[in-house]
Amino acid sequence: MKRTLVVFLGAAAMTALLTTGCTAQMAGSPPAAMAASPATSNGKAAALRAGLNTLFQEHVYLASAATGAALGGREAEFKAAAGALDENSVAISNAIGSVYGADAEKAFLPLWRRHIGFVVDYTVGVATKDAGKQNKAVSDLVAYTNDFGAFLSAANPNLPKAVVADLVKHHVVTLKSVIDAQATGDAAKAYSAVRTAAGHMRMIADPLADAIVKQFPDKFAG
Amino acid sequence: MLAMAMWLGLVGTAVAAPDGVDVQLFTFRPATQDVKAGVDVTWTNRDDIEHTVTSGTPEARDGRFQSPLAGKGATATVRFKEPGVYPYFCERHPSMRGEIRVH
Repeated sequence: MKRTLVVFLGAAAMTALLTTGCTAQMAGSPPAAMAASPATSNGKAAALRAGLNTLFQEHVYLASAATGAALGGREAEFKAAAGALDENSVAISNAIGSVYGADAEKAFLPLWRRHIGFVVDYTVGVATKDAGKQNKAVSDLVAYTNDFGAFLSAANPNLPKAVVADLVKHHVVTLKSVIDAQATGDAAKAYSAVRTAAGHMRMIADPLADAIVKQFPDKFAG
Repeated sequence: MLAMAMWLGLVGTAVAAPDGVDVQLFTFRPATQDVKAGVDVTWTNRDDIEHTVTSGTPEARDGRFQSPLAGKGATATVRFKEPGVYPYFCERHPSMRGEIRVH
């Protein structure tokens, strides 16, 4: 059973589970450097903000569905969730490409998918009670946050690398909480963690939307 | 290595050479660079993260050259003496790939 889970996590997940996010509720406001601005209250800017929030929250819900199914040994459900998760990854990359061009989109997708691979590693580690694998995956995810921060910072000078990395770390922590809760079989705790994780994504989506509007005010005017 | 004598070196600042390749937004730009034999090609890292210039592909490294690009502004230079096609990639981000075509 464990072996089956590992195999199916390792194979299918690497191709499909590519969009996992991690989540954690942040009680406060967005960091000052990335605080929301009134600029995103108008039509196009608001649409951007809403669109990014939808995509990032969807990412968490689908990732949680995939990890939950995987840990529960529900292979068909896992594959479906992982497939949907990858579609979400592509949609997020498309959104990046719509702002920063085809090259950026092409570079972003494998970078984004990479953290899903690390989440798969962590989930396998949890499923097999392999602490070493879990620790390695967490370490990889933490290192990944710097890559993600560097990417967005390079694309948009209004997004400080360290701030983005920190926000993504919270995402990693909150998703890890989801997986840990799922592994214990405590459904109430798991779903509470999912809500926290999904809620945290606003802390990434809002500042990203604001920074894009600030970078391209003409494109999002009106 | 082999007949391709090359010179690898990290230099401090970021002034792209005429036959240079920018590393920006996790992309080698241009992805394909055509140069004449004997020319130095310099990669300049514009990203605030470490990349590498590693010859070959992630699936088939060829060991011809390997150099870190330690952070924003770091450079690496390789001299290509022999005509041929030289693929390369970033070891930390294997989806980043490029190619030098030496004529």
